[in-house]
Amino acid sequence: MKNILYTILYSFKEIKNSKIFYFFLIFALILISGSYFVSQISFINEGRIMVDFSIFSITIFNVFIGIFIGSSVIYDDIEKKSIFLSITRPVKRVDYLLGRVFGLAVAVVFSTIIMMIIFYGVLLLMHKFVIPARPGAHFSILLLPQPVIIQAVFIIVESVFISAVSILFSLITSKALASILSILIFFIGNTSSKMNALVRPVRGIINGKLQIIHRPNHVLAAIVHFIYAVLPNFSVFNVSTQAAYKVFLSGRMISNAIVYGISYIVVILIIASLIFLRKDLS
Amino acid sequence: MIEIDNVTKFFREGFFGIRKNAVENLSLLIEKGKVTGFFGPNGAGKSTTIKMIVGLIRPSSGVIKVNGYDSGDFRSRIGLGYLPENPSFPRGLKGIEIINYYGKLLNVKVAKNEIHEALKISGIFYAKDTYTHKYSKGMTQRLALAISILGNPEILIFDEPLSGLDPVGRKEFKDIIYKLKDKGKTIFFSSHILADSKELCDKISLLVKGKLIKNSSLADIEKEAEENKPVQAEYSTPLEEYLYDLMLRNKTEN
Ligand SMILES: Nc1ncnc2c1ncn2[C@@H]1O[C@H](COP(=O)(O)OP(=O)(O)O)[C@@H](O)[C@H]1O
Ligand SMILES: [Mg+2]
Repeated sequence: MKNILYTILYSFKEIKNSKIFYFFLIFALILISGSYFVSQISFINEGRIMVDFSIFSITIFNVFIGIFIGSSVIYDDIEKKSIFLSITRPVKRVDYLLGRVFGLAVAVVFSTIIMMIIFYGVLLLMHKFVIPARPGAHFSILLLPQPVIIQAVFIIVESVFISAVSILFSLITSKALASILSILIFFIGNTSSKMNALVRPVRGIINGKLQIIHRPNHVLAAIVHFIYAVLPNFSVFNVSTQAAYKVFLSGRMISNAIVYGISYIVVILIIASLIFLRKDLS
Repeated sequence: MIEIDNVTKFFREGFFGIRKNAVENLSLLIEKGKVTGFFGPNGAGKSTTIKMIVGLIRPSSGVIKVNGYDSGDFRSRIGLGYLPENPSFPRGLKGIEIINYYGKLLNVKVAKNEIHEALKISGIFYAKDTYTHKYSKGMTQRLALAISILGNPEILIFDEPLSGLDPVGRKEFKDIIYKLKDKGKTIFFSSHILADSKELCDKISLLVKGKLIKNSSLADIEKEAEENKPVQAEYSTPLEEYLYDLMLRNKTEN
Protein backbone atom coordinates (compact mmCIF):
# COMPACT_ATOMS: atom_id res chain seq x y z
CA MET A 1 0.00 0.00 0.00
CA LYS A 2 2.79 2.38 0.97
CA ASN A 3 4.64 1.54 -2.23
CA ILE A 4 1.55 2.19 -4.35
CA LEU A 5 1.13 5.60 -2.74
CA TYR A 6 4.71 6.66 -3.26
CA THR A 7 4.62 5.44 -6.84
CA ILE A 8 1.44 7.44 -7.44
CA LEU A 9 3.09 10.58 -6.10
CA TYR A 10 6.25 9.99 -8.08
CA SER A 11 4.37 9.26 -11.31
CA PHE A 12 2.19 12.31 -10.87
CA LYS A 13 5.27 14.48 -10.39
CA GLU A 14 6.87 12.97 -13.45
CA ILE A 15 3.77 13.48 -15.60
CA LYS A 16 3.13 16.96 -14.27
CA ASN A 17 6.64 17.95 -15.39
CA SER A 18 6.34 16.36 -18.81
CA LYS A 19 6.04 18.44 -21.96
CA ILE A 20 3.21 16.46 -23.48
CA PHE A 21 1.02 17.04 -20.41
CA TYR A 22 1.58 20.78 -20.55
CA PHE A 23 1.01 20.82 -24.26
CA PHE A 24 -2.43 19.24 -23.97
CA LEU A 25 -3.37 21.23 -20.90
CA ILE A 26 -2.41 24.57 -22.42
CA PHE A 27 -4.02 23.74 -25.73
CA ALA A 28 -7.28 22.90 -23.97
CA LEU A 29 -7.14 26.11 -21.98
CA ILE A 30 -6.65 28.12 -25.18
CA LEU A 31 -9.64 26.40 -26.76
CA ILE A 32 -11.83 26.94 -23.71
CA SER A 33 -11.01 30.63 -23.54
CA GLY A 34 -11.33 30.80 -27.32
CA SER A 35 -14.83 29.42 -27.11
CA TYR A 36 -15.78 32.76 -25.63
CA PHE A 37 -15.05 34.39 -28.98
CA VAL A 38 -16.71 31.60 -30.92
CA SER A 39 -19.88 32.14 -28.95
CA GLN A 40 -19.69 35.88 -29.60
CA ILE A 41 -20.00 35.44 -33.34
CA SER A 42 -22.60 32.71 -33.16
CA PHE A 43 -26.26 33.70 -33.23
CA ILE A 44 -27.46 30.69 -31.28
CA ASN A 45 -27.70 31.06 -27.54
CA GLU A 46 -24.12 31.87 -26.59
CA GLY A 47 -23.99 29.87 -23.42
CA ARG A 48 -24.96 26.65 -25.11
CA ILE A 49 -22.34 26.82 -27.87
CA MET A 50 -19.76 27.71 -25.30
CA VAL A 51 -20.68 24.73 -23.11
CA ASP A 52 -20.76 22.29 -26.00
CA PHE A 53 -17.45 23.45 -27.35
CA SER A 54 -15.71 23.52 -23.98
CA ILE A 55 -16.94 20.11 -22.90
CA PHE A 56 -15.73 18.72 -26.18
CA SER A 57 -12.30 20.29 -25.64
CA ILE A 58 -12.03 19.10 -22.06
CA THR A 59 -13.05 15.57 -23.05
CA ILE A 60 -10.77 15.22 -26.02
CA PHE A 61 -7.70 16.62 -24.32
CA ASN A 62 -8.09 14.52 -21.21
CA VAL A 63 -8.63 11.48 -23.39
CA PHE A 64 -5.46 12.41 -25.29
CA ILE A 65 -3.55 12.78 -22.04
CA GLY A 66 -4.84 9.35 -21.03
CA ILE A 67 -3.93 7.74 -24.34
CA PHE A 68 -0.57 9.32 -25.05
CA ILE A 69 0.78 9.33 -21.52
CA GLY A 70 -0.82 5.95 -20.82
CA SER A 71 0.95 4.36 -23.76
CA SER A 72 4.31 5.66 -22.56
CA VAL A 73 4.12 5.77 -18.77
CA ILE A 74 5.22 2.15 -18.37
CA TYR A 75 6.51 1.56 -21.89
CA ASP A 76 9.13 4.31 -21.68
CA ASP A 77 10.03 3.28 -18.16
CA ILE A 78 10.92 -0.14 -19.56
CA GLU A 79 12.45 1.17 -22.78
CA LYS A 80 14.67 3.67 -20.99
CA LYS A 81 15.40 1.06 -18.33
CA SER A 82 14.48 3.43 -15.51
CA ILE A 83 12.14 0.68 -14.32
CA PHE A 84 15.19 -1.44 -13.49
CA LEU A 85 15.82 0.53 -10.34
CA SER A 86 12.28 0.68 -9.03
CA ILE A 87 11.13 -2.84 -9.65
CA THR A 88 14.30 -4.36 -8.18
CA ARG A 89 13.46 -2.89 -4.80
CA PRO A 90 11.34 -5.06 -2.51
CA VAL A 91 8.23 -4.00 -4.42
CA LYS A 92 5.50 -6.15 -5.87
CA ARG A 93 5.07 -5.68 -9.59
CA VAL A 94 1.36 -5.15 -9.17
CA ASP A 95 2.03 -2.32 -6.72
CA TYR A 96 4.24 -0.63 -9.27
CA LEU A 97 1.65 -1.07 -12.01
CA LEU A 98 -1.19 0.29 -9.89
CA GLY A 99 0.99 3.17 -8.77
CA ARG A 100 1.69 4.13 -12.36
CA VAL A 101 -1.97 3.81 -13.40
CA PHE A 102 -3.29 5.84 -10.50
CA GLY A 103 -0.49 8.37 -10.84
CA LEU A 104 -1.82 9.02 -14.32
CA ALA A 105 -5.36 9.06 -12.95
CA VAL A 106 -4.34 11.76 -10.48
CA ALA A 107 -2.87 13.75 -13.38
CA VAL A 108 -6.15 13.41 -15.26
CA VAL A 109 -8.13 14.60 -12.23
CA PHE A 110 -5.70 17.48 -11.86
CA SER A 111 -5.99 18.58 -15.48
CA THR A 112 -9.79 18.20 -15.51
CA ILE A 113 -10.08 20.37 -12.43
CA ILE A 114 -7.88 23.06 -13.93
CA MET A 115 -9.80 23.03 -17.20
CA MET A 116 -13.12 23.18 -15.34
CA ILE A 117 -11.94 26.12 -13.28
CA ILE A 118 -10.99 28.06 -16.40
CA PHE A 119 -14.27 27.04 -18.03
CA TYR A 120 -16.16 28.24 -14.96
CA GLY A 121 -14.17 31.47 -15.01
CA VAL A 122 -15.06 32.16 -18.61
CA LEU A 123 -18.74 31.49 -17.91
CA LEU A 124 -18.65 33.82 -14.90
CA LEU A 125 -17.03 36.45 -17.05
CA MET A 126 -19.79 36.15 -19.64
CA HIS A 127 -22.38 35.87 -16.91
CA LYS A 128 -23.98 33.14 -18.93
CA PHE A 129 -25.16 29.70 -18.10
CA VAL A 130 -24.11 29.76 -14.45
CA ILE A 131 -26.96 29.61 -11.97
CA PRO A 132 -27.26 31.31 -8.58
CA ALA A 133 -26.94 29.00 -5.59
CA ARG A 134 -29.80 30.84 -3.86
CA PRO A 135 -32.22 31.92 -6.57
CA GLY A 136 -33.97 35.17 -5.82
CA ALA A 137 -31.44 36.37 -3.32
CA HIS A 138 -29.74 39.66 -3.96
CA PHE A 139 -26.19 38.34 -3.75
CA SER A 140 -25.50 34.74 -4.44
CA ILE A 141 -22.61 32.60 -5.62
CA LEU A 142 -23.04 31.53 -9.20
CA LEU A 143 -22.64 27.80 -9.71
CA LEU A 144 -22.31 25.46 -12.63
CA PRO A 145 -25.46 23.45 -13.33
CA GLN A 146 -25.52 19.87 -12.05
CA PRO A 147 -25.13 18.12 -15.44
CA VAL A 148 -21.95 20.09 -16.17
CA ILE A 149 -20.36 18.96 -12.92
CA ILE A 150 -21.43 15.37 -13.57
CA GLN A 151 -20.01 15.65 -17.07
CA ALA A 152 -16.64 16.58 -15.52
CA VAL A 153 -16.78 13.48 -13.31
CA PHE A 154 -17.65 11.36 -16.34
CA ILE A 155 -14.73 12.83 -18.27
CA ILE A 156 -12.42 11.70 -15.47
CA VAL A 157 -13.86 8.18 -15.46
CA GLU A 158 -13.70 8.00 -19.24
CA SER A 159 -10.10 9.26 -19.39
CA VAL A 160 -8.90 6.88 -16.69
CA PHE A 161 -10.71 4.12 -18.55
CA ILE A 162 -8.93 4.89 -21.82
CA SER A 163 -5.62 5.32 -19.92
CA ALA A 164 -5.99 1.78 -18.60
CA VAL A 165 -6.74 0.53 -22.11
CA SER A 166 -3.68 2.33 -23.43
CA ILE A 167 -1.43 1.00 -20.66
CA LEU A 168 -2.70 -2.52 -21.32
CA PHE A 169 -1.91 -2.22 -25.03
CA SER A 170 1.51 -0.73 -24.31
CA LEU A 171 2.39 -3.90 -22.38
CA ILE A 172 1.81 -6.11 -25.41
CA THR A 173 2.62 -3.90 -28.39
CA SER A 174 4.67 -0.85 -29.19
CA LYS A 175 3.97 2.63 -27.93
CA ALA A 176 2.75 3.90 -31.30
CA LEU A 177 0.49 0.93 -31.89
CA ALA A 178 -0.88 1.19 -28.36
CA SER A 179 -1.84 4.83 -29.00
CA ILE A 180 -3.44 4.06 -32.34
CA LEU A 181 -5.42 1.11 -31.00
CA SER A 182 -6.61 3.15 -28.02
CA ILE A 183 -7.75 5.99 -30.27
CA LEU A 184 -9.60 3.45 -32.42
CA ILE A 185 -11.28 1.94 -29.38
CA PHE A 186 -12.25 5.39 -28.20
CA PHE A 187 -13.83 6.41 -31.48
CA ILE A 188 -15.55 3.09 -32.04
CA GLY A 189 -16.71 3.16 -28.42
CA ASN A 190 -18.21 6.59 -28.98
CA THR A 191 -20.08 5.69 -32.12
CA SER A 192 -20.91 2.03 -31.62
CA SER A 193 -24.29 2.69 -30.03
CA LYS A 194 -25.33 4.91 -32.94
CA MET A 195 -24.02 2.40 -35.46
CA ASN A 196 -25.85 -0.34 -33.66
CA ALA A 197 -29.09 1.57 -33.93
CA LEU A 198 -28.48 2.15 -37.64
CA VAL A 199 -28.18 -1.50 -38.56
CA ARG A 200 -31.39 -2.52 -36.81
CA PRO A 201 -34.17 -3.59 -39.13
CA VAL A 202 -36.39 -0.65 -40.03
CA ARG A 203 -40.01 -1.24 -39.12
CA GLY A 204 -42.99 0.57 -40.37
CA ILE A 205 -46.75 0.22 -40.43
CA ILE A 206 -48.00 -1.04 -43.74
CA ASN A 207 -51.68 -1.75 -44.17
CA GLY A 208 -52.21 -1.37 -40.46
CA LYS A 209 -49.58 -4.00 -39.58
CA LEU A 210 -46.11 -3.54 -38.14
CA GLN A 211 -43.73 -4.85 -40.75
CA ILE A 212 -40.04 -4.80 -41.49
CA ILE A 213 -39.51 -2.37 -44.32
CA HIS A 214 -35.79 -2.66 -44.71
CA ARG A 215 -33.28 -5.14 -43.38
CA PRO A 216 -29.60 -4.17 -43.58
CA ASN A 217 -26.99 -6.64 -44.77
CA HIS A 218 -26.78 -9.57 -42.31
CA VAL A 219 -23.02 -9.72 -42.15
CA LEU A 220 -22.66 -6.01 -41.60
CA ALA A 221 -25.33 -6.05 -38.91
CA ALA A 222 -23.67 -8.99 -37.16
CA ILE A 223 -20.29 -7.25 -37.17
CA VAL A 224 -21.70 -4.04 -35.78
CA HIS A 225 -23.70 -5.87 -33.11
CA PHE A 226 -20.59 -7.78 -32.15
CA ILE A 227 -18.47 -4.64 -31.86
CA TYR A 228 -21.22 -2.99 -29.85
CA ALA A 229 -21.39 -5.92 -27.47
CA VAL A 230 -17.67 -6.46 -27.00
CA LEU A 231 -16.07 -3.03 -27.03
CA PRO A 232 -16.72 -0.50 -24.31
CA ASN A 233 -19.49 1.98 -24.94
CA PHE A 234 -18.08 5.43 -24.29
CA SER A 235 -21.24 7.28 -25.21
CA VAL A 236 -22.64 6.63 -21.72
CA PHE A 237 -20.11 9.19 -20.47
CA ASN A 238 -21.22 11.86 -22.89
CA VAL A 239 -23.91 14.04 -21.34
CA SER A 240 -22.95 17.25 -23.10
CA THR A 241 -26.42 17.66 -24.59
CA GLN A 242 -28.01 17.41 -21.16
CA ALA A 243 -25.37 19.81 -19.89
CA ALA A 244 -26.02 22.32 -22.64
CA TYR A 245 -29.76 22.28 -21.86
CA LYS A 246 -29.26 22.07 -18.09
CA VAL A 247 -31.21 18.83 -17.86
CA PHE A 248 -30.93 17.42 -14.35
CA LEU A 249 -29.37 13.94 -14.34
CA SER A 250 -30.86 11.26 -12.12
CA GLY A 251 -28.75 9.59 -9.47
CA ARG A 252 -29.49 6.25 -11.06
CA MET A 253 -28.15 7.31 -14.43
CA ILE A 254 -25.02 8.75 -12.82
CA SER A 255 -24.24 5.72 -10.70
CA ASN A 256 -24.92 3.36 -13.61
CA ALA A 257 -22.35 5.11 -15.77
CA ILE A 258 -19.77 5.27 -13.00
CA VAL A 259 -20.22 1.62 -12.02
CA TYR A 260 -20.00 0.66 -15.70
CA GLY A 261 -16.72 2.58 -16.08
CA ILE A 262 -15.15 1.32 -12.88
CA SER A 263 -16.01 -2.32 -13.56
CA TYR A 264 -14.37 -2.09 -16.96
CA ILE A 265 -11.30 -0.40 -15.44
CA VAL A 266 -10.99 -3.16 -12.82
CA VAL A 267 -11.19 -5.89 -15.45
CA ILE A 268 -8.60 -4.16 -17.64
CA LEU A 269 -6.26 -3.69 -14.69
CA ILE A 270 -6.54 -7.35 -13.72
CA ILE A 271 -5.61 -8.40 -17.27
CA ALA A 272 -2.77 -5.86 -17.34
CA SER A 273 -1.44 -7.15 -14.00
CA LEU A 274 -1.46 -10.75 -15.20
CA ILE A 275 0.50 -9.75 -18.30
CA PHE A 276 2.88 -7.52 -16.40
CA LEU A 277 3.64 -10.21 -13.80
CA ARG A 278 4.92 -12.52 -16.51
CA LYS A 279 6.69 -9.92 -18.58
CA ASP A 280 10.44 -10.03 -19.06
CA LEU A 281 11.81 -6.56 -18.46
CA SER A 282 14.92 -6.25 -20.53
CA MET B 1 23.88 -15.81 -0.51
CA ILE B 2 22.69 -16.36 -4.05
CA GLU B 3 22.12 -19.84 -5.42
CA ILE B 4 21.79 -20.27 -9.16
CA ASP B 5 20.72 -23.80 -9.92
CA ASN B 6 20.88 -25.13 -13.47
CA VAL B 7 19.41 -22.04 -15.04
CA THR B 8 18.75 -21.67 -18.74
CA LYS B 9 17.33 -18.58 -20.37
CA PHE B 10 16.39 -18.41 -24.00
CA PHE B 11 15.01 -15.55 -26.03
CA ARG B 12 12.99 -15.98 -29.16
CA GLU B 13 14.49 -14.38 -32.18
CA GLY B 14 13.29 -13.32 -35.57
CA PHE B 15 10.01 -13.86 -37.34
CA PHE B 16 9.77 -17.55 -36.53
CA GLY B 17 10.68 -17.07 -32.88
CA ILE B 18 13.64 -19.39 -32.95
CA ARG B 19 15.03 -20.12 -29.51
CA LYS B 20 18.45 -18.80 -28.73
CA ASN B 21 20.04 -19.56 -25.39
CA ALA B 22 21.50 -16.51 -23.70
CA VAL B 23 22.43 -18.52 -20.60
CA GLU B 24 22.78 -22.28 -20.59
CA ASN B 25 22.63 -24.69 -17.65
CA LEU B 26 24.26 -22.21 -15.34
CA SER B 27 24.89 -23.25 -11.75
CA LEU B 28 26.70 -20.82 -9.53
CA LEU B 29 26.94 -20.10 -5.86
CA ILE B 30 27.61 -16.50 -4.94
CA GLU B 31 29.07 -16.64 -1.47
CA LYS B 32 28.26 -14.36 1.39
CA GLY B 33 30.79 -11.67 2.22
CA LYS B 34 32.88 -12.18 -0.89
CA VAL B 35 33.50 -10.19 -4.03
CA THR B 36 32.83 -12.22 -7.13
CA GLY B 37 33.88 -10.89 -10.50
CA PHE B 38 31.68 -12.03 -13.35
CA PHE B 39 33.63 -11.81 -16.57
CA GLY B 40 32.96 -12.54 -20.17
CA PRO B 41 32.94 -10.92 -23.58
CA ASN B 42 30.04 -8.80 -24.80
CA GLY B 43 26.95 -10.87 -25.36
CA ALA B 44 28.12 -13.65 -23.05
CA GLY B 45 24.95 -13.48 -20.99
CA LYS B 46 26.25 -11.60 -17.96
CA SER B 47 23.48 -9.01 -17.91
CA THR B 48 20.89 -11.68 -18.59
CA THR B 49 22.11 -13.63 -15.56
CA ILE B 50 22.08 -10.53 -13.39
CA LYS B 51 18.58 -9.57 -14.53
CA MET B 52 17.39 -13.02 -13.55
CA ILE B 53 18.96 -12.66 -10.11
CA VAL B 54 17.23 -9.35 -9.46
CA GLY B 55 13.90 -10.59 -10.81
CA LEU B 56 13.61 -8.48 -13.95
CA ILE B 57 13.38 -11.56 -16.13
CA ARG B 58 12.52 -15.11 -15.20
CA PRO B 59 14.60 -18.15 -16.04
CA SER B 60 13.24 -20.38 -18.80
CA SER B 61 14.20 -23.28 -16.56
CA GLY B 62 16.07 -23.73 -13.30
CA VAL B 63 15.83 -21.87 -10.03
CA ILE B 64 17.52 -18.83 -8.54
CA LYS B 65 17.32 -18.18 -4.82
CA VAL B 66 18.41 -15.03 -3.07
CA ASN B 67 18.56 -15.30 0.71
CA GLY B 68 16.34 -18.35 0.41
CA TYR B 69 13.60 -16.65 -1.60
CA ASP B 70 12.86 -17.35 -5.25
CA SER B 71 14.10 -14.47 -7.39
CA GLY B 72 10.54 -13.87 -8.60
CA ASP B 73 9.40 -13.14 -5.04
CA PHE B 74 9.72 -9.48 -4.02
CA ARG B 75 11.11 -10.56 -0.63
CA SER B 76 14.25 -11.82 -2.36
CA ARG B 77 15.10 -8.17 -2.96
CA ILE B 78 15.08 -7.15 0.69
CA GLY B 79 18.63 -6.09 1.43
CA LEU B 80 19.68 -6.23 -2.19
CA GLY B 81 21.11 -3.29 -4.12
CA TYR B 82 21.34 -3.36 -7.89
CA LEU B 83 23.23 -1.09 -10.24
CA PRO B 84 22.01 -1.72 -13.79
CA GLU B 85 24.11 -1.54 -16.91
CA ASN B 86 23.71 1.94 -18.45
CA PRO B 87 21.17 3.19 -15.92
CA SER B 88 18.79 5.99 -16.81
CA PHE B 89 16.08 8.06 -15.16
CA PRO B 90 12.82 9.67 -16.24
CA ARG B 91 12.93 13.21 -17.55
CA GLY B 92 11.74 16.17 -15.59
CA LEU B 93 12.86 15.14 -12.12
CA LYS B 94 15.80 16.22 -10.00
CA GLY B 95 18.38 13.80 -8.65
CA ILE B 96 17.18 14.28 -5.09
CA GLU B 97 13.53 13.67 -6.03
CA ILE B 98 14.49 10.44 -7.74
CA ILE B 99 16.62 9.08 -4.93
CA ASN B 100 13.95 10.04 -2.41
CA TYR B 101 11.42 7.96 -4.29
CA TYR B 102 13.67 4.91 -4.55
CA GLY B 103 14.48 5.29 -0.85
CA LYS B 104 10.78 5.16 -0.06
CA LEU B 105 10.41 1.84 -1.85
CA LEU B 106 12.75 0.10 0.58
CA ASN B 107 11.47 -2.03 3.41
CA VAL B 108 13.48 0.07 5.86
CA LYS B 109 13.03 3.73 6.58
CA VAL B 110 15.84 5.80 5.13
CA ALA B 111 16.60 9.09 6.86
CA LYS B 112 17.44 12.24 4.95
CA ASN B 113 21.04 12.25 6.13
CA GLU B 114 21.47 8.66 4.93
CA ILE B 115 20.36 9.75 1.49
CA HIS B 116 22.82 12.63 1.58
CA GLU B 117 25.50 10.24 2.78
CA ALA B 118 24.88 7.86 -0.14
CA LEU B 119 25.00 10.77 -2.57
CA LYS B 120 28.29 11.93 -1.05
CA ILE B 121 29.86 8.48 -1.17
CA SER B 122 28.94 8.23 -4.84
CA GLY B 123 30.24 11.72 -5.53
CA ILE B 124 27.02 13.17 -6.91
CA PHE B 125 25.83 15.19 -3.91
CA TYR B 126 26.79 18.45 -5.61
CA ALA B 127 24.32 17.78 -8.46
CA LYS B 128 21.39 16.60 -6.39
CA ASP B 129 19.23 19.58 -7.36
CA THR B 130 19.94 19.25 -11.07
CA TYR B 131 17.47 17.61 -13.44
CA THR B 132 18.75 14.16 -14.30
CA HIS B 133 18.25 14.55 -18.03
CA LYS B 134 21.05 17.09 -17.81
CA TYR B 135 23.38 14.56 -16.20
CA SER B 136 26.35 13.11 -18.06
CA LYS B 137 26.71 9.35 -18.34
CA GLY B 138 29.13 9.27 -15.42
CA MET B 139 26.83 11.38 -13.25
CA THR B 140 23.88 9.10 -14.03
CA GLN B 141 26.02 6.13 -13.10
CA ARG B 142 26.88 7.78 -9.80
CA LEU B 143 23.27 8.53 -8.94
CA ALA B 144 22.35 4.94 -9.71
CA LEU B 145 25.16 3.78 -7.46
CA ALA B 146 23.88 6.01 -4.66
CA ILE B 147 20.43 4.49 -5.09
CA SER B 148 21.80 0.95 -5.04
CA ILE B 149 23.63 1.43 -1.75
CA LEU B 150 20.69 3.11 -0.01
CA GLY B 151 19.41 1.32 3.05
CA ASN B 152 22.75 -0.43 3.58
CA PRO B 153 21.97 -3.64 1.64
CA GLU B 154 23.90 -6.83 2.37
CA ILE B 155 24.08 -7.95 -1.25
CA LEU B 156 25.24 -5.66 -4.03
CA ILE B 157 24.93 -6.52 -7.68
CA PHE B 158 26.70 -4.26 -10.11
CA ASP B 159 26.34 -4.71 -13.85
CA GLU B 160 29.37 -3.21 -15.60
CA PRO B 161 29.89 -0.66 -12.83
CA LEU B 162 33.00 0.81 -14.41
CA SER B 163 31.81 1.22 -17.97
CA GLY B 164 31.14 4.75 -19.05
CA LEU B 165 33.45 6.23 -16.44
CA ASP B 166 36.66 8.16 -16.96
CA PRO B 167 39.89 6.89 -15.32
CA VAL B 168 39.30 9.03 -12.24
CA GLY B 169 35.75 7.79 -11.95
CA ARG B 170 36.88 4.21 -12.33
CA LYS B 171 39.35 4.64 -9.53
CA GLU B 172 36.69 6.19 -7.30
CA PHE B 173 34.19 3.44 -8.06
CA LYS B 174 36.77 0.80 -7.30
CA ASP B 175 37.54 2.49 -4.00
CA ILE B 176 33.85 2.45 -3.15
CA ILE B 177 33.68 -1.25 -3.93
CA TYR B 178 36.73 -1.81 -1.71
CA LYS B 179 35.05 -0.01 1.14
CA LEU B 180 31.89 -2.06 0.70
CA LYS B 181 34.03 -5.17 0.66
CA ASP B 182 35.66 -4.13 3.94
CA LYS B 183 32.21 -3.83 5.44
CA GLY B 184 31.67 -7.50 4.62
CA LYS B 185 29.12 -7.03 1.85
CA THR B 186 28.43 -9.71 -0.71
CA ILE B 187 29.35 -8.20 -4.04
CA PHE B 188 28.72 -9.62 -7.48
CA PHE B 189 29.85 -7.45 -10.35
CA SER B 190 30.16 -8.03 -14.06
CA SER B 191 32.73 -6.71 -16.44
CA HIS B 192 34.04 -7.35 -19.90
CA ILE B 193 37.29 -5.62 -19.04
CA LEU B 194 39.83 -8.01 -17.62
CA ALA B 195 41.96 -5.28 -16.11
CA ASP B 196 39.28 -4.79 -13.48
CA SER B 197 39.59 -8.31 -12.28
CA LYS B 198 42.58 -8.73 -10.12
CA GLU B 199 42.37 -5.97 -7.57
CA LEU B 200 38.78 -6.37 -6.51
CA CYS B 201 37.85 -10.02 -6.60
CA ASP B 202 37.98 -12.88 -4.15
CA LYS B 203 36.46 -15.11 -6.78
CA ILE B 204 36.25 -15.08 -10.52
CA SER B 205 33.53 -16.54 -12.71
CA LEU B 206 33.98 -16.61 -16.43
CA LEU B 207 31.00 -16.83 -18.75
CA VAL B 208 31.35 -17.31 -22.48
CA LYS B 209 28.42 -17.82 -24.82
CA GLY B 210 26.09 -18.39 -21.92
CA LYS B 211 28.18 -21.15 -20.39
CA LEU B 212 30.19 -21.01 -17.22
CA ILE B 213 33.80 -21.74 -18.16
CA LYS B 214 35.57 -21.04 -14.89
CA ASN B 215 34.52 -20.47 -11.34
CA SER B 216 37.22 -20.44 -8.75
CA SER B 217 39.06 -18.32 -6.25
CA LEU B 218 41.46 -15.68 -7.46
CA ALA B 219 44.43 -17.55 -5.98
CA ASP B 220 43.56 -20.79 -7.75
CA ILE B 221 42.95 -19.18 -11.08
CA GLU B 222 46.17 -17.22 -10.83
CA LYS B 223 48.08 -20.41 -10.22
CA GLU B 224 46.40 -21.99 -13.20
CA ALA B 225 47.32 -18.98 -15.28
CA GLU B 226 50.99 -19.32 -14.36
CA GLU B 227 50.94 -22.94 -15.44
CA ASN B 228 49.17 -22.38 -18.76
CA LYS B 229 50.95 -19.29 -19.94
CA PRO B 230 49.46 -18.50 -23.32
CA VAL B 231 51.43 -16.31 -25.69
CA GLN B 232 49.58 -13.06 -26.07
CA ALA B 233 51.09 -9.64 -26.20
CA GLU B 234 48.06 -7.50 -25.50
CA TYR B 235 47.71 -8.11 -21.80
CA SER B 236 50.20 -7.35 -19.13
CA THR B 237 49.72 -10.02 -16.50
CA PRO B 238 49.52 -13.77 -16.88
CA LEU B 239 46.06 -13.76 -15.33
CA GLU B 240 44.69 -11.37 -17.89
CA GLU B 241 46.31 -13.27 -20.69
CA TYR B 242 44.95 -16.53 -19.43
CA LEU B 243 41.42 -15.22 -19.10
CA TYR B 244 41.64 -13.63 -22.50
CA ASP B 245 42.82 -16.88 -23.97
CA LEU B 246 40.01 -18.80 -22.33
CA MET B 247 37.49 -16.43 -23.81
CA LEU B 248 39.05 -16.66 -27.21
CA ARG B 249 39.18 -20.41 -27.28
CA ASN B 250 35.64 -20.91 -26.08
CA LYS B 251 34.32 -18.35 -28.49
CA THR B 252 35.73 -20.12 -31.51
CA GLU B 253 35.36 -23.72 -30.39
CA ASN B 254 31.62 -24.28 -30.69
N1 LIG C 1 15.52 -9.06 -24.48
C1 LIG C 1 16.28 -9.80 -25.29
N2 LIG C 1 15.74 -10.33 -26.41
C2 LIG C 1 16.48 -11.10 -27.24
N3 LIG C 1 17.77 -11.39 -27.04
C3 LIG C 1 18.37 -10.89 -25.95
C4 LIG C 1 17.65 -10.06 -25.02
N4 LIG C 1 18.51 -9.70 -24.03
C5 LIG C 1 19.69 -10.28 -24.32
N5 LIG C 1 19.63 -10.99 -25.47
C6 LIG C 1 20.72 -11.76 -26.08
O1 LIG C 1 21.30 -12.57 -25.10
C7 LIG C 1 22.71 -12.61 -25.24
C8 LIG C 1 23.38 -12.18 -23.96
O2 LIG C 1 23.19 -10.81 -23.74
P1 LIG C 1 23.68 -10.07 -22.44
O3 LIG C 1 23.26 -10.84 -21.26
O4 LIG C 1 23.25 -8.65 -22.50
O5 LIG C 1 25.27 -10.14 -22.59
P2 LIG C 1 26.40 -9.40 -21.76
O6 LIG C 1 25.78 -8.63 -20.66
O7 LIG C 1 27.28 -10.49 -21.26
O8 LIG C 1 27.13 -8.52 -22.72
C9 LIG C 1 23.04 -11.70 -26.41
O9 LIG C 1 23.22 -12.53 -27.55
C10 LIG C 1 21.83 -10.86 -26.58
O10 LIG C 1 21.64 -10.52 -27.92
MG1 LIG D 1 25.85 -6.65 -20.29
